[in-house]
Amino acid sequence: LAKPASNEQVLQGTLDLLILKTLSLAPMHGWGLTHRIEQLSQDALQVGQGSIYPALVRLEQRGWIDTDWRVTENSRRAKYYRLTPAGRRAFGHEVAAWQRFVSAVGLVLAAER
Amino acid sequence: VLSRVRAALARVGELFRARSRFAREQDEEFRFHIEMETGENVRRGMREPEARRAAVLRFGGRERFREETRDARGVVALDNLTRDTRLALRRIRRAPGFAAGVIATLGVGLGVAVGIGTIVYGVLLRDLPYDNPDRLMRVDFHTDGIPGQGQRQSPATYFHFATRARSFTGLGSYSTDAGFAITDGDAPERVTIARVTPNVLTLLGVRPLLGQLFEPGDTSQSSGRSPVLISQELWERRYGADRGVIGRRIAINRGDATVIGVLPRAFDFPAASVSVWFPQPTPLGSPGIIGRYITVIGRLREGVDVAAAAAELNALVPSLAERFPQITPEMLQQSAARISVESLKSATVAPVRPQLVLLGVLVGVVLLIATTNVVNLFLLRAGRASQEIAIALSLGASRVALAQRFVVEGIVLGLASAIVALPAAAIAVSTKFGFTEREIPRLHEVAFTSGTVAFLFGCAAVIGAGVGLIALRHTAMTGLFDRLRVSHATPSRAWRGAQTGLVGLQVAIALTLLVAAGLLGRSFWNLRNVDLGFEPASAMTAQVSLPWGPTGYSTYDQATAFHTMVMDRIAALPGVTGVAVVQHPPLTPGNEGQVDDGGNDGRPTVTATSDATSANYFRVMNIPLLHGRTFQPGDQGGVPTVVVSERLAARVFGTTDAVGRTLREPGRENVPEHSWRVIGVVGDVHGERIEDGHMPMMYFPLLHGGGRLADGVAGDEPRDVQYVIRGAPLPAASRLQRIVGELDPRVPVTDVRTLGSIVDAATARVRLTLLLIGVAAAAALLLGVIGVYSVMSYAAAGRVREFGIRLALGAEPRRVSRTVLGAGLRLVAVGTAAGLLIAMSATKLLRSLLYEVQPMSLGEYACATGVLIIATLVAAALPARRAARTDPAVVLRGD
Repeated sequence: LAKPASNEQVLQGTLDLLILKTLSLAPMHGWGLTHRIEQLSQDALQVGQGSIYPALVRLEQRGWIDTDWRVTENSRRAKYYRLTPAGRRAFGHEVAAWQRFVSAVGLVLAAER
Repeated sequence: VLSRVRAALARVGELFRARSRFAREQDEEFRFHIEMETGENVRRGMREPEARRAAVLRFGGRERFREETRDARGVVALDNLTRDTRLALRRIRRAPGFAAGVIATLGVGLGVAVGIGTIVYGVLLRDLPYDNPDRLMRVDFHTDGIPGQGQRQSPATYFHFATRARSFTGLGSYSTDAGFAITDGDAPERVTIARVTPNVLTLLGVRPLLGQLFEPGDTSQSSGRSPVLISQELWERRYGADRGVIGRRIAINRGDATVIGVLPRAFDFPAASVSVWFPQPTPLGSPGIIGRYITVIGRLREGVDVAAAAAELNALVPSLAERFPQITPEMLQQSAARISVESLKSATVAPVRPQLVLLGVLVGVVLLIATTNVVNLFLLRAGRASQEIAIALSLGASRVALAQRFVVEGIVLGLASAIVALPAAAIAVSTKFGFTEREIPRLHEVAFTSGTVAFLFGCAAVIGAGVGLIALRHTAMTGLFDRLRVSHATPSRAWRGAQTGLVGLQVAIALTLLVAAGLLGRSFWNLRNVDLGFEPASAMTAQVSLPWGPTGYSTYDQATAFHTMVMDRIAALPGVTGVAVVQHPPLTPGNEGQVDDGGNDGRPTVTATSDATSANYFRVMNIPLLHGRTFQPGDQGGVPTVVVSERLAARVFGTTDAVGRTLREPGRENVPEHSWRVIGVVGDVHGERIEDGHMPMMYFPLLHGGGRLADGVAGDEPRDVQYVIRGAPLPAASRLQRIVGELDPRVPVTDVRTLGSIVDAATARVRLTLLLIGVAAAAALLLGVIGVYSVMSYAAAGRVREFGIRLALGAEPRRVSRTVLGAGLRLVAVGTAAGLLIAMSATKLLRSLLYEVQPMSLGEYACATGVLIIATLVAAALPARRAARTDPAVVLRGD
């Protein structure tokens, strides 16, 4: 089963940013998060399902996200993740840092000689 | 401490519980995720089992998921703990010398610190075992020059304050008497009793084990029956723990008493030795302030502080003169009569506080030295292990993991040291170095408990962790690249300076303690070898107490006849060369009185200690008769006679030949004037405190006609007398009891001691300090030696390449070893110089404990310095020898 050529693995280090962004839209459980990220990227990004949970735990340890157990629409119990105020602030910084990085890489790539 | 340990355990337990809860939630989350993904796959058209397999496959394995989340969570710490402990144990096994050094150093430090620290804490700091102990106060009465026992009160002053003072919820009084005998049953037994006002028991909050406490109206009459309370110990030992003891009549001293209650073992007021309590009524007794003998305690009312209470009582002092005709305002004014209020705990331990505080500081210093040395040993090892660490770091080991490794290793070694220290501390606490509560108050309360063990292990773990962290900090200070490049540690200049400074300080402290131990040892030697004025060897004393009263002995002649018979029988025993009787043997507290020479030439009165003896006492004790004669049976008629000591003769009469002169005790208050004719002058003896020198003594006849100084001051009844027996071999206590028992089975023989043990007891205070400073000095020396060794080894290891090159270029090995030894010598020299300076100021604090030694005694300083320099040079010689044996080929190849 070959993957579509456009389907990229998420770069190391950008997963946190994607999680923060997605959670800033709405609290979500882990499985929903992976699919939401893929959906927002129009299936261009492929999230390693096993690697999203360690990332979530790391963010929780940093105090950027918080968890609680809630009941889903299908009345299943699931662990929901949501941004804390500190997470919201951190997200702002991360976005700025990412944009600086992207433009720097862009400058390098745009160099002609 | 215990509660903190419990809290820590609770936290660890919480961690474990949190971990298992986390694992459960994780599983649930995992199941949820797989189900959702499976559902999604099915919606995309897969079949059920295949859909699930694809979901699991995409997730990437459950075990990895568990491990990665756990790592991210940092609970790793706990899981790694067991692994790190195993690793630490393996590393320790690989470096047995290092481990032994650490365990020995910290074991000595902890053993000394926890052992002695427990005693100091138990005596000085722990709360008294009574209800709400901080509100309990002792109320003392001070005068300048009015005779009485120390700062005690009289029944009159007690009555006055107890009825007028408002600062206290109650004031109670007590006194003790060691001269009572229970004479019912098979064997008579001597007991210490306390007379307490009934409210003392309620002030302290004791609840009886059996029966009841005294009622406010209870009194003890000298003839009739008196209610008494007995100790649990006496109840179990003498009355077989029989619950029917309540209401039982017991024969004690002059009369009958009825047991109304048993007090629990834990109740030790006023002393652990008390086994019977009599109710002390609160009447006036003698309405004066001479011969004060009762102690007053009270419970401060809420909201009243100590200063306010003292001010109130002091304001009540002048009104004593209005209430009691025998007390005049002039007496109170001239003697500067005043009251002090001090917490009961503080007043109880006051006599030993300075020594114990000094001790507490000393053990703290010893522990500090030990810790410093362990840090040095760790650094010495870290230098060698630095490559290993560098590799671990470059392979991506996190700083936290590395720190944990160091800390775990420190804790493991700390706990091992605690195991070594445990028996030492337990022995120190349980033997109490041979001291009893007679020398150190509250000592019987000190015990080795689970709390002590917890404290020991807690200390060990904290120190171990701290040492590990310090060692790590140092390792982290030098950069990673340095580590990889250089075969041995080249520590920063600053660190090496600090390390050298620490060891120098240790050497200085060890020297100070050695000097102190030397001075105290010399002082102790002087005390033990001082001419006491009598011959302590091959002599013993034993107390014989007659039941006095209508049912026992009631006249002086009866008593004399009994004692004479006993003395004759003892004197007939093989080996016994002399038997005499005395009221107070030497070096035990006696009665004091004020005497002058009859008032003819206006000399001031002299405070003298009085005693009563048989005529042959001076011969048996080897106290020389200088002038005149001792007592004779004919002395009974006419003017009473007295034998005085040389010092008293010189002080009162201005001449040592005072035979024929008149010694007078001027009348005072309700005491009439007394005078005696001096018939003899004998050699001086030392008083209760040997270091105070010779006391002016006056001896009155015992068994040769009643000698008396004043009512209740010199006993006029030969009721409790001490036998002094000289000879070799000395008779056993059981032999004496048999002889006495054959004549009268009711009479107990107690306090059988050798004169030597009395001398031991009198030198106990200096012995205590000497022993403890000696232990501290030995520990400090040992630790100092380890310190010098480790820092010199460390320095030598850092220069090993230099040595290798020098040796390869043909340097003599002796020159290399001299380089190391020279560095050691400089270190020791600096430490010694600093130590001498510290010692010179610190030993001044010892002045009050020194006997015929100057704090600046040259001999002790020279000796201590010599011992220290030799010991430390030996410690420096080992690394020096190792340096000389450096193999150039090995070192140079090592790069």
